[in-house]
Amino acid sequence: MAAPERDHLTGYNTTGHEWDGIKELTTPIPHWWVTVFLGSCFVALLYMWLFPSFATTTGVFRGQLGWTSRGQFAEEVAAGRAAQAEWRARLDQTPLEEIEANPDLRRFAIAGGRAAFNENCAPCHGVGAGGQIGQFPTLIDDDWLWGGQIAEIHQTVRFGIRSGHEETRDSLMPAFGDSLSAAEIEQVADYVLSFSDPQASEAASNAMPGAALFQQNCAACHGVRGEGSREFGAPKLNDAIWLYGGTRDAIKRQIAHPRMGMMPAFAAKLDDATIRMLAVYVHTLGGGER
Amino acid sequence: MPATTFQGLSPARAVVRPDIPHAVRGRFRSIKTVLAGLMLGFFFLAPWLRWERGPALPGQAILFDLPGRRLFVFGLEFWPQDLPIAVGLMIAGALALFFATTLAGRVWCGFACPQTVWSDLFFAADRLIARLVGKGALERRLRTAAWISIALATGVGFTAFFIDAPSLPGLLLSGRAPAIAYATVLVLTGTTWLLAAYARERVCLHMCPWPRFQAALLDRQSFVVTYQDWRGEPRGRKRDMLRPDLANPGRTPGLIALVADATAFSAPVRGDCIDCTRCVTVCPTGVDIRKGLQMGCIGCGLCIDACNEVMARLERPAGLIRFDVESAQAAPGFAPPRLDWLRPKALAFGLAALLAFGLSGYGMATLADVTAHADPQRNPPFVRLSDGSVRNDYALRLAHRRAELARVVIHAEGLDGAQLRLGTLDRPPTGALTVTVGAGRSLDERLLVLLPRDAAPHGRRDFTLVLTDPASGEELARVPSYFWGPES
Repeated sequence: MAAPERDHLTGYNTTGHEWDGIKELTTPIPHWWVTVFLGSCFVALLYMWLFPSFATTTGVFRGQLGWTSRGQFAEEVAAGRAAQAEWRARLDQTPLEEIEANPDLRRFAIAGGRAAFNENCAPCHGVGAGGQIGQFPTLIDDDWLWGGQIAEIHQTVRFGIRSGHEETRDSLMPAFGDSLSAAEIEQVADYVLSFSDPQASEAASNAMPGAALFQQNCAACHGVRGEGSREFGAPKLNDAIWLYGGTRDAIKRQIAHPRMGMMPAFAAKLDDATIRMLAVYVHTLGGGER
Repeated sequence: MPATTFQGLSPARAVVRPDIPHAVRGRFRSIKTVLAGLMLGFFFLAPWLRWERGPALPGQAILFDLPGRRLFVFGLEFWPQDLPIAVGLMIAGALALFFATTLAGRVWCGFACPQTVWSDLFFAADRLIARLVGKGALERRLRTAAWISIALATGVGFTAFFIDAPSLPGLLLSGRAPAIAYATVLVLTGTTWLLAAYARERVCLHMCPWPRFQAALLDRQSFVVTYQDWRGEPRGRKRDMLRPDLANPGRTPGLIALVADATAFSAPVRGDCIDCTRCVTVCPTGVDIRKGLQMGCIGCGLCIDACNEVMARLERPAGLIRFDVESAQAAPGFAPPRLDWLRPKALAFGLAALLAFGLSGYGMATLADVTAHADPQRNPPFVRLSDGSVRNDYALRLAHRRAELARVVIHAEGLDGAQLRLGTLDRPPTGALTVTVGAGRSLDERLLVLLPRDAAPHGRRDFTLVLTDPASGEELARVPSYFWGPES
């Protein structure tokens, strides 16, 4: 290495590096800067000592504080729950019918209910609660198999439909594929379709061949004019909403070999405050009854 | 070239910088004092200005209401959705800064930067204390006290922009202020004290990024602080003979060069600079401007004032150090400095800044005081109800800045037979829906639009939601949207 050369203008030595006639000086870094740098190094080492920082041959160095991201997450969830405790308690104590009258409580229930819905209900009923025709009921229309008031929705969420829970809502539609002939099933289907057809006059439909079959086999649950029954969870047949499809073929299929959906009971999985939130949220989606 | 011949004749000598730059009087000092007074005055007094807005709103002229997410600036009220205006103002500010730098170097740094203004304040306090009690232990103690007082005032003054100013001191003293207020006061006090006690010009030299990229904006036509070395060199004491070409500046430059070359070395001669180093000792960042324009120069002009004082005492023309374009050096003479406006770069930045200011101003002037959105819910696109009618759901968001607006009527224009109701089911659906807009002044609701079976379109039909004020009948907002019906 060449002997250091002194720059006469600044008084500093050069490094001996030269590019295009420009020589680099060994200007020292400011003191405060070096101090800050060394301080940062110390802080970095401190961090490594306190927190999980590197892998060892046998596992992972855990750090002196015993901190983990999973533990922090659990703490934050617990803190969030604790912050909600007052509201959840109020939710538990307020009668279901009165929750919606309280704007703050209603807002809290809707926000929590939306989150819980997307987590627990959306897989079947869809994020917008639109359901899926032929599979899962829409929760935003005005037709309710088991009732659309908050208390009834609450009941359904807690214990499910045909869930096997001892308090579950249960119903059974017999399969008529064995007891009725194919022609008879077609006649019943035609008759059922006439309920929701505004053009079909009462007299004409009563004269249909399916009428007698319907009164004999179906009216006990679905009502004489297909008005349904919530007691048995028997759907209305005289409206525009068909859970398993409203075409003639879909109705025939449902008479012959009915499908009956199953909804799990959430009582064991969710606490009652969350179920109440769900009930309020579903009720505000546009189809709830008052 | 005479100018280059004379340059470098005097060897650089180490100039001892004082702890505190020396005081100076002059034109730029006066401008700085007035500007600093205005800006400090605004900073400390603005939160105390009142502005009557009505019972539900704060009466502070300038208030950053963070909990309420609103920003009040005199008669204007900004909401989070008005962020584009703030961004536009920032862009305009940046462009104006580029424009000013291209045109006149670091005028922002030298005259308007908070770091400069506060440093000036600290220097003034330091000098005042030294003059009152002299140097010593008492001076150091008083100085620390002054720094901390100013820092504390700055912290409280800043916090006052975010909270009702007249009640802030009382809240702070009684311990009832929100924790974030204490944190803000502490942080601002701490950083101000740090800047006062240690950083000052080091901020300009080592921390601020602006000197690094101002080099991209400056060129030889920029109006910056320059040392007229054709005139100042060689430096010498007053009793040395003045360079003959400077003694009578009326002659042509060509003749000057000839005479200068012939006589320069026959006897000790000097230019106008007597190397008194006053330009260095008054400089807030300790720059020796005679070495040429450099990163540390914040363009405050104090060295110009200092040099002009000396030139006046020497009975030489002012302006040995002056604001000028660097390219003027190539044509020496006592001609007055000129500012180059008409350059593409300066004009482009200037026009862009004007455009950005104009757009932001237009945005401010046309702030809608009622805004409404209705997002169709597409999951599912429509709902069939039991009587066969079809319903579409919309996420309705309504926000207004009017104190007197209590209710809003919504109806669907271009959708015959449409019935409206809110998801809350408070009332049966109606053709013209009346909505109570509470004191919260914003509403987030589910709006349901129903069409009878026969009126429902196949696929999409566009329509407009119209919001009117039932009290005055005024139309508040029109929200274009669409209704989706079953395709078959």
